[in-house]
Amino acid sequence: MSQVPNTGSAAVPLESTDAVIPAPEVITFPKGLPGFEACRSFVLIAPEGETIVQCLRSVEGPAASFLVIDPRRAMAGYRCDLSNADRERLQASTDAPLLWLALVTIEEQGTIVVNLRAPVVINPVTMLGAQVIPHHCLYPLRHVLVSAE
Amino acid sequence: MLVFTRRRKQSIRIGDGIEVQVLRVGRDGVRLGVVAPPEVPVHRQEVYDQIREANRTAAGAPQDVSLVARRLGRACE
Repeated sequence: MSQVPNTGSAAVPLESTDAVIPAPEVITFPKGLPGFEACRSFVLIAPEGETIVQCLRSVEGPAASFLVIDPRRAMAGYRCDLSNADRERLQASTDAPLLWLALVTIEEQGTIVVNLRAPVVINPVTMLGAQVIPHHCLYPLRHVLVSAE
Repeated sequence: MLVFTRRRKQSIRIGDGIEVQVLRVGRDGVRLGVVAPPEVPVHRQEVYDQIREANRTAAGAPQDVSLVARRLGRACE
């Protein structure tokens, strides 16, 4: 699984858990996310020992915190092509490795769903991110990963 | 809101680079063609609205990631 590279320097312990924030680097979302247009700066937090779920947290503007997973973990064979327009937004060359993340939602009854329709894509070189809505990858907006307990 | 009457093959122009053309007018719908610069995303409004709603629901991620991770771990193995 690809990771946004971190600086490898000081790790900051989280208040209530034993997770650590690997010296967070700010990822800039020039347009925010739909519904969170004022959130332009995020950090990606990988709880220690946690390999599946990461947390994409706004560090500017309204509070917003998203759980994210690699969409390929949610659906085998998941594959999306980035449009030239989106590639340009991320300032990514055609062969640049990109980090793809899918937003996870825990619904009221405990059902865990993942948004495969509109993934978040991050260019680890420019540290630019965007939530993209590909025209030709019609994966479900609400893909159930875990049913209510 | 600006309102225009347009016929088939007529278009409107927005700014320097956006053109919206009426391709076909049917009984139930109008088919539009959009030419826009690559940096301007073009989507059906309802798709955008659905994603915005999904994001709002997703935004209150819980502090305790480990519980979610355990449940997800079983699903993603």
